[in-house]
Amino acid sequence: MSEYVIEMNHIRKEFPGIVANDDITLQLRKGEIHALLGENGAGKSTLMSVLFGLYQPEAGEIKKDGQVVKINNPNDATALGIGMVHQHFKLIEVFTVLDNIILGAETTGAMGFLKKKEAREKVIALSEKYGLRVDVDAKVEDISVGMQQRVEILKMLYRDNDILIFDEPTAVLTPQEIDELMEIMRGFAKEGKSILFITHKLNEIMAVSDRVTVLRKGKYIGTVNTKDTNKQELSNMMVGRPVQLQIEKKEAHPGETVLKVEGLTVPSKIHKNNAVNNVSFEVRAGEIVCIAGIDGNGQTELIYGLTGLEKATAGTITLCGKDISKASIRNRALSGMSHIPEDRHKHGLVLSYTLEQNIVLQKYKEPRFQNHGFIKFDEVREYAEKLIKDYDVRSGQGPITIARSMSGGNQQKAIIARELDREEPLLIAVQPTRGLDVGAIEHIHNQIVAERDKGHAVLLVSLELEEVMGLSDRILVIYEGEIVGEVDPKKTTAEELGLYMSGAKRNQEGGGADA
Amino acid sequence: MPKKDPLTGKIKWYKSEGAVAVYSALISILIGMAVGAVIVVIAGLSKANISGAGIAEGIKLVFLGVFSTGRNAAGQLTFGFNAVNLGNMLFRAVPLIMTGLSVAIAFKTGLFNIGAAGQYLMGTMGTLSVALWLGWAGTPKALAWICAFLVGVLLGGLWGCIPGLFKAFFNINEVITCIMTNWIAANLVTWWFDAHEVFKNSQQGGKIGYVIPLKNVGVVTPKLLMDKIFAGSQANGGFWIAIIIAVAMWIMMTKTTFGYELRACGANRHAAKYAGINDKKNIILSMAIAGCLAAAGASLYYLSGNTEFYWSTYQKLPAEGFNGIPVALLAANHPIGVIFSGIFMSMLNVSGIQLKYLTAYNEYISDIIVGVIVYLSAFSMLFKTMLSKRIKSDHGNVNAEPAPAAVEEKAPGDTDGKTEKGGQK
Amino acid sequence: MVFLLQQMMLYAVPLMIVALAGVCAERSGVINLALEGIMIFGAFMGVVFVRIFQGAGMTQDQGQLIMILAMILSGICGILFSMLLAFSAINLRADQTIGGTALNMLAPAIVMFFVYMIVAQNTIGMAQGGAAGWFMIKPSTFGHPKGYSYGAIGDFFLNKVYLTTYICILIFILVSVFLYKTKTGMRLRSCGENPQAADSLGINVFKMRYLGVGLSGFLAGIGGFTFSLTTANMTSNGDVAGYGFLALAVMIFGNWTPLNIAGGSLLFGLFKCISATYSTLDINGDGVFMLNEIGISPYVYRMLPYLITLIVLAFTSKNSRVPKAEGIPYDKGMR
Repeated sequence: MSEYVIEMNHIRKEFPGIVANDDITLQLRKGEIHALLGENGAGKSTLMSVLFGLYQPEAGEIKKDGQVVKINNPNDATALGIGMVHQHFKLIEVFTVLDNIILGAETTGAMGFLKKKEAREKVIALSEKYGLRVDVDAKVEDISVGMQQRVEILKMLYRDNDILIFDEPTAVLTPQEIDELMEIMRGFAKEGKSILFITHKLNEIMAVSDRVTVLRKGKYIGTVNTKDTNKQELSNMMVGRPVQLQIEKKEAHPGETVLKVEGLTVPSKIHKNNAVNNVSFEVRAGEIVCIAGIDGNGQTELIYGLTGLEKATAGTITLCGKDISKASIRNRALSGMSHIPEDRHKHGLVLSYTLEQNIVLQKYKEPRFQNHGFIKFDEVREYAEKLIKDYDVRSGQGPITIARSMSGGNQQKAIIARELDREEPLLIAVQPTRGLDVGAIEHIHNQIVAERDKGHAVLLVSLELEEVMGLSDRILVIYEGEIVGEVDPKKTTAEELGLYMSGAKRNQEGGGADA
Repeated sequence: MPKKDPLTGKIKWYKSEGAVAVYSALISILIGMAVGAVIVVIAGLSKANISGAGIAEGIKLVFLGVFSTGRNAAGQLTFGFNAVNLGNMLFRAVPLIMTGLSVAIAFKTGLFNIGAAGQYLMGTMGTLSVALWLGWAGTPKALAWICAFLVGVLLGGLWGCIPGLFKAFFNINEVITCIMTNWIAANLVTWWFDAHEVFKNSQQGGKIGYVIPLKNVGVVTPKLLMDKIFAGSQANGGFWIAIIIAVAMWIMMTKTTFGYELRACGANRHAAKYAGINDKKNIILSMAIAGCLAAAGASLYYLSGNTEFYWSTYQKLPAEGFNGIPVALLAANHPIGVIFSGIFMSMLNVSGIQLKYLTAYNEYISDIIVGVIVYLSAFSMLFKTMLSKRIKSDHGNVNAEPAPAAVEEKAPGDTDGKTEKGGQK
Repeated sequence: MVFLLQQMMLYAVPLMIVALAGVCAERSGVINLALEGIMIFGAFMGVVFVRIFQGAGMTQDQGQLIMILAMILSGICGILFSMLLAFSAINLRADQTIGGTALNMLAPAIVMFFVYMIVAQNTIGMAQGGAAGWFMIKPSTFGHPKGYSYGAIGDFFLNKVYLTTYICILIFILVSVFLYKTKTGMRLRSCGENPQAADSLGINVFKMRYLGVGLSGFLAGIGGFTFSLTTANMTSNGDVAGYGFLALAVMIFGNWTPLNIAGGSLLFGLFKCISATYSTLDINGDGVFMLNEIGISPYVYRMLPYLITLIVLAFTSKNSRVPKAEGIPYDKGMR
C-alpha cells in the first residue's frame, strides 16, 4: 500500500502558445487536507482538470494507491473515486436539485426509465448525515449560492467519491459560511476521505490544511507542512518576491458630494422581488466607497441602475448636482461618470474590434475624433498610441491588435486606460481585479488610490474581502438588494462584515418591508 | 498573425485577412461547382437518355455556361464571347448585388436578414405601381423614375423595420419574424395587384397574371453605355447604380461613426450599450437599411422596363431574396466583395439556363451549387483557420505576451461566445 | 363541424410533430433552422418510396403497409439529411443558423432537380391513384357501406382519416416521455442547458447532440411525409409553404415543452385550416360558406397564420425559456 492515494508526477500540459503545467508533482495522502496554492493563472485549475480527466497531459503520470492509472474522462475519474466541486458550479439551472445530483450517475429501470425514488432517499440520507441542508425538489436557479455549493458536494458524495477536490470553494461564501465549510471538510478528512483544496487565500490555508503545494506561473515551487510555515512565506512562494500584504494609502480627505443616490430600486430579471430595493447612499470627492457583499446580492443590478444599463423603477440619482435618474446611458457618462465594468468581455470590450477602436468606444463621437460623422482615423491612432504608452498596455500589433487576441490582464489595462483617461469626477469600478495576478492587482489598486488622491470620487464593488478592507475608505454592505450596514474599514473585522453580508446584522434600515 | 513586411511594417497583401477571405470563398466555389458536376454525372449515369457525351456537355456548361454560344451545325456546344449572355449576367447581377448588400449589412449588425424576399416584393409593388401610375399621369419620365425608385425603396425599408422592431423590443429571433413577414408580403402583394385591375397586363393576349411592363409607360432606367458593350442584352445603367450603392455602403460601414456603431452592435450588443450606443435604434435602422437595399434591387430590376412581374406570387417567394444570403456569405459581408459574388451568382443562373435549353439537365443544378456554397460558408471559419495556419506556420508567434492568465480565464461561465456570436460570419 | 375539426387535425399534426423535432434539437443545444428543408426532403422521399413500392407491384389493398413503410423510410432520410447539419454544427462548430439555411436552400434545389429528372415537370406524385384512394381510412376499409356513419365522435376518429395522424400522435407521446422520463432524455436536455456541466459528469455532449439532431431529422422527415400525404395528395414540388418555420414558431410559442406545443399546434392548425379551406367551410352546417361570403380577400385568410404567429410571438416572448446553451457550439477546450 502506497503512502499516497493520489500521486501526480511530473505533469506537463501545454496550450497553444503557453505551458500551463510544467513538471508539476502533487502527492495526496489518505485523510489529509492538502491545499494547492497559486495565483490566478498559476496552473491550478489546469492541473485539477488533468486529474479529473478533462485534459490529457503531454507528459507525466498519475498514480492511484501506487498504481499508474490513465484518466481519459470524468467517468474514469469517478470510477477512481475522484470528485470535484468546480469553481464555476457545474449545475443545470432549470433542473431540480435531485436531478442535478443524479445526472450522469442515474439508476434506471426497464427501457432506461429513471428510478428517482431510491436516489431521493440516498440523497436525503447523505444530506442529513453530513449536515448538508438542501431542498431536493427546488430548481437550482431558485436556491442560494451556498445551497448550490452543497448540491455540488452532495454530487460527489452520491457517487461515493473519497478523493474530493474543492476548486476555490470560498469565493462565494460569507466568513461564517466559510467556517461551516471548513468544519465539513475536517469531518470528511476524519472519515478517511482525502481532500484537495485549491485556493489563493492564505488565511484559509492556515486554518484548515495539513500540507500546502505551491505553484507559480505553471511551475512547481514546493510542498510544505502548514504548521511549519506562515502567511508571509507562503505568499512569497506564491508570487516569487516579497509582497506587500497591505495596500499603502494616505488618509482620505473627502470633499463635496459627487454622487447621491436616493431610494434606488431596480427590478430583478430572475425573481419577482427587486434586485435592488430602495437603496440610498452618497459618494464624495476624494474617497473610495466600497459596496461589499456576497455575489448575487444586487451589486450588478445596482451598478446597472446607476449607469443606465438597466431601468430603475424608482429613486433619484444625482451626479455633480445634476439629476440623471432618467438620462440615457451616454448622457450619464457625459455628465461625469466613468465605468470599469464587471465583465470585460461582455461590456468592456468589443472583442472583434481592434485595440484603438476599443479605446475610443466612449469617445468616437467627440469632435476630436469625427467630422460630420466621418471618423478621423489619424486622431484615433494618435490617441490610442498615447494611451497604450501611458498605461503600458501590451499587445502584439499595438493599436491594430484585435482585442480578442490580447491577454486578460492587458485587456483590463486597456479598459482602465480608457476609463481613467476620461478624468470624470466619478469612477465606478466593478471587480476591477477579477482574475488577474498579484502584480496586476497591485498596479490597479495603486491607480485607484491615485484617482482618489486626484480628488475623484470612487465607487468600488468587490467580492474580495481583503480588497474591500484594504482599499476602501468607507464600506457599504449590500444584502438581498439592500444596504444593511455602513462601516469604517479601520474599525471593523472580517467577522463583523460577514455578519452583515449574511444578513444576520444590520445597522441601516433598508427600504421597503416587502423585499 | 501574418508576417509583416520588414520595410513598410505592413502585412503582405496576399497574406492579409482579406486575401484569406477571398481564398476561402474560392475554395467554397470550387467545391460547390465540383458537387454540381458530380450530381450531373450521377444523374446522367442513372438516366438512359443521357449519354457519356451528354454528361461531358453538362459539366462543361456548369463551369463555362456563361460563355456558351449555343450549338454549331454539327450539334456540338460552342463557346466564346457571348455579349447577350454576359450582358444578361450583369443585368441579373443587379438584384443579387442589392439583396446581397442587404444581407451583408444586417449581418454586420449581428442580424440574419432572411426577409430580403419580402422586402424585395414590397419594393416591386411600390415601384411598379408608382411608375405605372405616374407614367399614365404624364409625369416627366425622370421624375417618375425617381419617385418610383424611392417609393419602392421606402416600402422595403418599412418592411425591413418590422423584424427589427420585434428584435429590439421583444427580443424575438429575427429569422422567424423575417420568414413570417416574407409570407405576409407575398399575400399582400398578390392582394394588391389582384384588387387593382389597372395594373394587370391584359392587352397582350396569353399573358395572364403579369403586371404591365414599365416600358409600356416609358419609365425605364437609361442604358448608360451598357447597350454599346453588351449589344442585344438587357444590361442597363442599373448595374452602375448598384456599384455606386455598394461603394456607398462600404464607406458608411467603415468610415463613419454610424458604421462604427452598427458594427459594434453586431459584434457585441452589450458593449455597445455600455458605450452609450442605442442598440435598439441601431438594430431597427440596420434592418431598415437592409430592407431599403433589397427593395432597391427589385426596383432596379423592374425599372429596366421589359421585365415582367408575375403578381400571383402568394405561394412563391422570389429567389433573389434568398440568393442574397450566399452572395453576402461568399463576400464575407464586405460590400465591395458583394459586387463580385453577386456577378458570380448571376453567372451560375445564366449557366443553369444554358443547361436547361441545351441539355437534358435543368436549371436547378445551379441552385444545388448555391446551397452547397452556403453550407460550406457555414464553416468558412475552418477554411480560414486552416489557411492562416499554413500562412503562419513559417513564422514564429508574434504575440508579445503569451499570458498564462488567458488560459484559466477561458473557464466556463465566460461570457464570450454568445455575445460575440454573429459578428463574424 | 366534424369536417372542420378533422381538417384542423390534418394541419395540426404535422405541425406538432415538426415542432417537437425542433424541441429535440434545441434541447440538445443545436438550433435546427433546417426543419423546413428536412420536411421538403422527407416529403419528396416519401413520394419516391411510394412510387417504388407501387412499381414493385404492391397493390391498393396493401395501402396502409405502403404508407407506414414509406413514412418510416422518409424519417430515415430525414435523419440522413439532418446529419449534414449535425456535422457542421457539432464537429465543425459552424454557425448553426447559416448551416440550417444552407439545408433549407439545398433541399428544394435537390428535390426540384430530381423531380425534373424523373417526371420532367414541376410536381411529382404517385405512380398511380391518389392519396385518398390508396391510404385514407373510409367506412369501406372496415367493410361498411359507403356513406356509413359512426356518429359524430366516431366519424371524427374513424371516417375519412389517415392512420398517420394517430401514428404521429403516438410518436409525439413516446418522444415526449423519452425526453422527460428516461436517463438518455435527461442527459440530452442537460446538454442544451449547460454542456460544460454535462461533460464534467461524463456525458458525451457530441453524442447527445447528434442524437438530438438525428431525432429531430426523423420527426421532421415523417412530418414532411405526413404533410405531403394529408394536405398535398402525396405529391412533392419542393415546397412545404413555410410549414417548417411555422413549426419553429409553435415551438417558441410552446416554450420548448411538448404539452404547450400540442396546444399551440392545434391553434395554428385551426388558422392554417381556415386559410386553406375558407371557401368551402360550412361552419354550422347550413349550407352557407360564411367566410367566403363575407367578401374578404382570400389573401387575408392566407396571411392569417403568419400574422397571428407574429402577434402571438410578441405577446409570449417575455416568458419564453430558451435552452441556455442553444446555438453555442461546444468546444472541449473551453471547459
